[in-house]
Amino acid sequence: MVARQPTCPRVPPVKVLIADTVHLSDPGHLGDPGRIVEADLMAAGATQIVRLGAGELLADAVLREAPDLVIVDMARPDRDGLEDIRAIARHAPRPIVMFVDQDDPAFMEAAIEAGVSSYNVVGASLPAIKPVVQAAVAMFRRFRQVETSLHKAETSLREREAIDRAKALLMRQRGMTEPDAYRWLRRQAMEQSRKLAAVAAELVAADKSKGGGS
Amino acid sequence: MTVAHPVRIGLLRLTDSAPVIHAHTAGLFAAEGLDVTLSVEPSWANLADKLSYGLLDAAILLPPLVLAMALGLRPAAAPLIIPMSLSQHGDAVTLSNTLAAPILAGGRPTAAEAGRRLAAALRGRPRVTLSVVHAWSPHALLFKSWLHAAGIDPQADVDWAIVPPADTIAAIESGRIDGFCAGAPWGAVAASAGVGRTVALSSDIMPGHPEKCLAVREAWADQHPDALQDLLRALLHAAADCADPANAPAIAATLAQPAFLNLPAEIIAASLPGGARDGVGQDTDVCRFGTPEVTRPTLEQARWFLDQMARWRDLPASGAEAEAVAARIYRPDLYEIAAVRAVGGV
Repeated sequence: MVARQPTCPRVPPVKVLIADTVHLSDPGHLGDPGRIVEADLMAAGATQIVRLGAGELLADAVLREAPDLVIVDMARPDRDGLEDIRAIARHAPRPIVMFVDQDDPAFMEAAIEAGVSSYNVVGASLPAIKPVVQAAVAMFRRFRQVETSLHKAETSLREREAIDRAKALLMRQRGMTEPDAYRWLRRQAMEQSRKLAAVAAELVAADKSKGGGS
Repeated sequence: MTVAHPVRIGLLRLTDSAPVIHAHTAGLFAAEGLDVTLSVEPSWANLADKLSYGLLDAAILLPPLVLAMALGLRPAAAPLIIPMSLSQHGDAVTLSNTLAAPILAGGRPTAAEAGRRLAAALRGRPRVTLSVVHAWSPHALLFKSWLHAAGIDPQADVDWAIVPPADTIAAIESGRIDGFCAGAPWGAVAASAGVGRTVALSSDIMPGHPEKCLAVREAWADQHPDALQDLLRALLHAAADCADPANAPAIAATLAQPAFLNLPAEIIAASLPGGARDGVGQDTDVCRFGTPEVTRPTLEQARWFLDQMARWRDLPASGAEAEAVAARIYRPDLYEIAAVRAVGGV
């Protein structure tokens, strides 16, 4: 990466998907905006909000919308609803905040096991939604940071392994010293305007396809 | 599992930024497990400020500037160390066409002869304004000693301006300055733009003079000793590549990219070892990279800079005090560890 100007730490966008089963499951409330107020979510750091449509499966909506955070609002503890959450956790893991009306310790355990990251028992109104969502958004950002640095570390390790293997290959097959092998790889990278790791990986792959073992 | 270590390195649009740019583009930093971000800055003052405020971890810098910061001649300075020198030579004295023409009649003379011809040309003329890239720079020290040797008093006989390398072309074209001393390839850029000609090369003014160094924030180096060694190792390999004449075309093509020098590759190549071709390269010095004589940061280099600084300005400290400061900045001990491990290429 080359930066001509310093880049300010930018707040990444956070897209929230709301699955409001309190209202979706009750025909009497169709069209009701529900008790999760969008303005509260925006104030808590969300930048885009989408809602689950009537009759839509939560797992389908998650795949389509790719939200950063999922909020599930359940009136009663609903074990069938946990299947959806299990599917999300398996195929497209992301933080899931759950609100339920009734305290049920066994259900809480099942929900957390299914992949719920924040379980909240609330009354009829949601006075404390902002801090809960704020915490979930913060947790999500941290989660993404860890994921990114883990990915970078894996890539870095794989690249360095490829370079070591390519060096070993050149030393064995062409009788080069280690410094000569490294210089040869650097020359290739320069002449092809490519990264050292890419040149090394290609060399190792070509050797494998020729049946050379290493 | 180790996470790739982030390092922010600043540099300017100059040929002797080559070791850092090459290490980045060819993946030599990545090969040592570093996640390097390069920041191409407009001036030496920018680099010094960004290091001071912790916006950069390291930078290619002017050794006299690092010394001046440590001696308190520049405010808001964070302590820096020099764990590696990067280059020798590479600067040029470039004058307006009017001033340069009589000096270059019959081909470029030696630096000493060019100075004498300039002195003759300046007699009876209005004062000229000359520029250097920073007050605390090898350029300023070399330019002044060259003028002095020719009988021109650098303090009394000329006016001085500070012009960052990439701004020299517009400055000499507009007549704001009559000449400048800047690093490669800006003398050659001026010539190709038709706004000036190079009359003396720094390798001729002071053969073997030290030029750029790697400056690292001392706090960063203390907190990340392993990453510092990784950085030095990558740069030792990169410096060896830059010193190899066979690599000049590839290095020049890399430096020429819009994200880096954003200048024609032929002009840059002329200032790289082995890169000069007939007809090109008349107006630039050639940078020297890679050998241990160039890359080892020694106290002799520090002493040379301090002596030169004392000659043209009053250092705020005595020679002995200044040398004690220099001994804390120059870190051949850190260099030696990296050089022993980077057996390849050096």
